[in-house]
Amino acid sequence: MDGIMTILEMDDALRAKKVSSLELTNETLRRIAQENSRLNAFITVVEESARARASAMDAELSHGIDRGPLHGVPFAHKDLVYTKGVRTTGGSKIFKDFVPDHDADIAVNLENAGAVMVGKTNLHEFAYGITSTNPHFGAVRNPWDTERIPGGSSGGSGAAVAAGILPFATGTDTGGSIRIPASFCGVTGLKPTFGLISKRGVMPLGWTMDHMGPITKTVRDAAVAFHAMGGPGAVPSKNADIRGLRIGLPVNYYFDTLDLEVSESVRTAVQTAAALGARIVDIKVPDIDALNVVGRMLLLVEATSVHQRHLNRRADIGADVLTLLDQGRLIRGSDYVDAQRLRRIYCGEFSKLWSEVDCIFTPTTPTAAPKIGQMTMKVGSVDEDVRLATTRLMRGINVLGIPALSIPCGFTKAGLPIGLQILGAPRTEETILRVGAAIEDATGVVGRTV
Amino acid sequence: MIGGMTDWKKTAAALDPPIPEADIEKLLPVMNALEAAFRPLQLTLTPESDVWTES
Repeated sequence: MDGIMTILEMDDALRAKKVSSLELTNETLRRIAQENSRLNAFITVVEESARARASAMDAELSHGIDRGPLHGVPFAHKDLVYTKGVRTTGGSKIFKDFVPDHDADIAVNLENAGAVMVGKTNLHEFAYGITSTNPHFGAVRNPWDTERIPGGSSGGSGAAVAAGILPFATGTDTGGSIRIPASFCGVTGLKPTFGLISKRGVMPLGWTMDHMGPITKTVRDAAVAFHAMGGPGAVPSKNADIRGLRIGLPVNYYFDTLDLEVSESVRTAVQTAAALGARIVDIKVPDIDALNVVGRMLLLVEATSVHQRHLNRRADIGADVLTLLDQGRLIRGSDYVDAQRLRRIYCGEFSKLWSEVDCIFTPTTPTAAPKIGQMTMKVGSVDEDVRLATTRLMRGINVLGIPALSIPCGFTKAGLPIGLQILGAPRTEETILRVGAAIEDATGVVGRTV
Repeated sequence: MIGGMTDWKKTAAALDPPIPEADIEKLLPVMNALEAAFRPLQLTLTPESDVWTES
């Protein structure tokens, strides 16, 4: 299948009048019709309003009104972003007919940027899981192998971009939900610094760890979408320069238990960065297992606080989510507060690393995408629970609230994408996007479409 | 409670609405493992350890 253009390619084509927004939108709608029965990436498609909006954006451009690089570009929202007049299910049976009477801030920002929403993407129920095997709206499938999960919870967004249906979609990330689909689907995902992008009007999961961000085909597209969402900084230049930048390579934890192919691909990316002039610095990271335990305690309690009013409808909640919500009910308030106290200590310990390095390279996930329905998997020589294994390299990052970018850095012998995670100090999105763009330019792996 | 391990069944029985008994059994291994990992971390806290706030 031919890939769709990137945001920046669409931007160029629209301004050169080689294509109209209506044509791009019609092509996107055609691809959804062609691919959605295979991938189940969309819960709702808004054909009529998308065409009307695209025509309006074309009219503006013809009158010299230019809202920027997203003007006339089709995209989709993860179906927990409030969209006025368009149902917003949160992937839940409980909200299957919920139609918000207002837009989320992020929806307003993207509308003001001229983007054309074509629909709402499927997700793990309540965004509370990593498979996107949704019991109410069907399992999202990975375009690289439809027997495998796309990751989650933003699985529909990842699958839609990877399949070349559209150039970008929104995602949320509470314990890896942008970066896991990015890793498993071979696309780019940016989880910005905590609090940088407004969450108003987005169904919450864990208030102190929820993040909004884009899932895109390329790193520069991620920068464009991030800025339109309200993020600061510039899009990386054509020849992103990372000479002299200090890249941290953890000597503990992150490479301890991994698939060999993942380890090799990430280490190749490190070598690429070194060849581009970056300085590789071995670092010892604080106790990430402890950070993950704190993250689990916080999320269990916060998610139950969000959804406890629905617990009188147990039959309407999927078994895996219900189990997590019940777990959250068992944790004491004093333990939750202690988890927040530990969080402060760990944030302080981790922040010391930023005096040694400018960013850190790690794998995003320890394996490529597991199969749909798979509960355990072998990682290296260890059998692990799929959910815990998939989140263990990133859950702690949500506790820290630091920015993290996932980009593809290779493929397994079976042809499944492998993700590289680039971490930065708070509010250094511009740096990690520049590093990602440099790797993208040098490897040619980023942006490859199924 | 720092120190002893929690009787999850007793805790669950006190909840309203209750967690069905069949569902409690599924929670026990996970809760026991999480508690076993969390309690030692908790012991490192001092009275001066403040809560995290967004900075």
